[in-house]
Amino acid sequence: MSKLFACLVSDVDRGALVSAARNFSHAIQTIEDGVLFDVSGLGRLIGRPETVTKKIVAELRRNNIHASVAVADTVDTAMLLARRCGAPRVSKGVSETSPFITVVQPEIFSQLPLRDLDIDNDTLDVFTDLGLKRVEDLLTVPREELIGRYGQEFVNVIDTIEQRGASFVVANIKENHASWSFDLDQPVENFEQLIFVLNHGLERLLKHIAQCGHSIEHLDLDFGLRNKTQKAYEIKTSFPTLDRNFWLKLINLRAALDPPESEIVTVNVTAHFTRPRPAQRGLYAVSRPEPESLLLTVNKLKKLVGQENVGIPVLLDQRMVEAFGLDADGIPDGRESRVISDGNQTKNHPVSPDQKHRDCHPSFVRRGAFVIGFSYYRPPISAEVLVRDKRLVYLKCRQFAGHILNFSGVWKGNAKWWDEPWKTLEWDIEVENAGIYRLCKVRDEWFLIGEYD
Amino acid sequence: MAHLALVKNLAQLKQEQSYVDEVVLESAGLSLARGSLTEVVGGPSTGKASLALSLLAKLTAEGEICAAVDAGHGFDPVTAKLAGVEVNNLLWVRCGRDVEKTFMAADHLVQAKGFGCIWMDLGGLPENKLRMVPRSYWFRYRTRIKETPTLMLVTSRSPLTGSASQRSYELTRERAAWSGSGNFKLLHQFELKMLSRKGVFGPPMRVRAEMDYSEI
Repeated sequence: MSKLFACLVSDVDRGALVSAARNFSHAIQTIEDGVLFDVSGLGRLIGRPETVTKKIVAELRRNNIHASVAVADTVDTAMLLARRCGAPRVSKGVSETSPFITVVQPEIFSQLPLRDLDIDNDTLDVFTDLGLKRVEDLLTVPREELIGRYGQEFVNVIDTIEQRGASFVVANIKENHASWSFDLDQPVENFEQLIFVLNHGLERLLKHIAQCGHSIEHLDLDFGLRNKTQKAYEIKTSFPTLDRNFWLKLINLRAALDPPESEIVTVNVTAHFTRPRPAQRGLYAVSRPEPESLLLTVNKLKKLVGQENVGIPVLLDQRMVEAFGLDADGIPDGRESRVISDGNQTKNHPVSPDQKHRDCHPSFVRRGAFVIGFSYYRPPISAEVLVRDKRLVYLKCRQFAGHILNFSGVWKGNAKWWDEPWKTLEWDIEVENAGIYRLCKVRDEWFLIGEYD
Repeated sequence: MAHLALVKNLAQLKQEQSYVDEVVLESAGLSLARGSLTEVVGGPSTGKASLALSLLAKLTAEGEICAAVDAGHGFDPVTAKLAGVEVNNLLWVRCGRDVEKTFMAADHLVQAKGFGCIWMDLGGLPENKLRMVPRSYWFRYRTRIKETPTLMLVTSRSPLTGSASQRSYELTRERAAWSGSGNFKLLHQFELKMLSRKGVFGPPMRVRAEMDYSEI
C-alpha cells in the first residue's frame, strides 16, 4: 500500500496545527516550522491525494489557520514542498486557495532549486557552475556517477530527489485523553433524561478512541449544575473496554448512587486512553463472570443494599473482635491459589499456571474435616448468665435457655492492650439443647455475639 | 484416514474429564452439581457455615469468583480465611436483615452468570418472614442458573426451597468435643450427621468440623 504524508508549515501556534492534523491522523510529528502527519490509508475514507489535500485545506480554512500545505508520497517530498512556500514562489504549481492558505502541488517538485536540499555549499557551487540548478537538472545525472563522485553519503540526497526517501513520521504528539462536551438547551433535573444525549456523546467519543487504536478504563464525567456548581464522577474499571452500553449503564448506576444536587446544564465527558484488552482466555478457564457483567452487577448491588455493603472481605492486622472489614472499592479478581493442608493449618499461596492442575485438586484440599465457621448475630442477643464459683452455669435469653455444659475462656481482647484496659471479655459456651456460642461481657451485661456453625 | 481426525486424543479426553460439572467436597463425601440449587438446613451449630466455607474454599482457591449473600450480616471473614477461602475472589454482599433485598441481590448475582458459587446465608433472617417469600423465587433462580457453571447453595434453619432444589441436606450435631479439662478447655470439633433429603437416600453421613486456632 502506498504511503502518503502531509506537511503543514506555518508561523501560527503549533497547537492549532496539531489540532487540525488530528482530524486526519494520529501519527503526528511536530517539526521546527510546522507539523508532519501520516495520511496513508485515507483513500477509502476521503479519496485520492488531491481530495485529501482539499479536505486539509478546508479544515485549515474552517479554523482560520494560515499555512502552507503539501501532500506527497514521501516525508522529505512533503516537507520540501511545504517549505517552498516561504521562499520565492515558483509560479507554476502553487495555488492560493485563500489569502492565508497555500497549496503546493507535488508536480512542481522537479522544479525545486537544489539549495532547498541538504547539500553543502561547496557542492552547490560546483552544481551551479555545471548548470545544475533545479532538481530536474540533477535527475539527468546518472545515480552511479553522483555516488562515485560524492560518496555514499550522497545517496540520501539522490533518494530525496527520486522521491524514494525512507524517512517516516516519528509521532511525538501523544494523545492520552479525549473529551466531549454538550450544553443543554434546557436544564435537566432527572439524570435518566440525559441518557439519550450521553449515548450520542459516548458513541462519538468511543468511535474516536477506537480510530486511535486505544481503549479506555477511566472516564471523568463533569456536570455543570444550575446552581453554578460542578458535579464530578470518576468512573474506573479494572479492564479496558469500548462497550458503549456498558459505560452508559455504569454511568447511570453511579449517578443513581450519588445524584446531582441541582438541575444539569452542561455535560463534559473525558475519556483517558489505555491499551486495548488482549482477549485471550484459556481453553479450560475456570468459571468467572465477564468483567463487564461483574462490574455492572456490583454496581447494581451497591444501588440495592448501599455502597458500603458490597465488596471483598479484608482482614485487619489487629487483635480485636471482628478484625475484618469490607473493601467497597474492591472487585473479586479471580486470583488463583492452592490450598495446602498442613495439620490444622490451611494457607493459601499464589500458584503458577503449570502447577494449577496438579496442585489445586483433592490431594491438597484439607481431608476429613471442615473448619468450624462462625456467624455473628446482628445485633448481639442480650442474655442473663448465672455464674457460680467463677464458672458459667446457666444462660437465659429471649430465644432459649439452658445449662452451660462446657465453656472456654475468658478471652480478652484489645488492639492497644498496653495502654487501655481490655475492651472485650469473651467465652465460648456450649448450651444444653442449643448450640455453641460466643458470649461477651460488656460492663456487667452479657451478650451472645454469634454462634459457631 | 481423514475421518480419524474426529477422534479426540487421549490427553484431550483426560483434560475434559477433569473438568466435570460437579464439585466434589471430599471432606464431606459430597458431590454437588453445578447449574443447580442445593439446600443445607440445620439448627444452631450444625456446621452449615462450615460446609459452605469448605465449598467456597475449594472454588475460590482454583480462581473461581464466588459470592456470599449475607442476609443477616453474620459472615465472618476470619473463619472463612482459616477455612481456606481466597477472600480476594469472594464478593461479599451484606443485606442488613432485609428479606427483599436479600432475594433481589441473589437475583442480580444469578443474572450475572459465571459465578462459581453463590452462597445464600439465610441464617440471620426470621423464619416467619422467610416463609412468606413466594416459591417462584426459588424456581426463578433454578431456571437462571441452569446450564451455567454456577452452584447455588442456600443455608437456613428450615427447608425453604421446596422442589426447586436439586439436593437438600439436613445437618444435625451429634456432639461437640472439647479438649482440656476444668476451666482450661478449648472447643475442638463438631461431630455432625448429614442426612440427604433429596436425590440420594441412605443412612446419614458422619462428618467432622474442626476448630482452627492458627494465626492468619
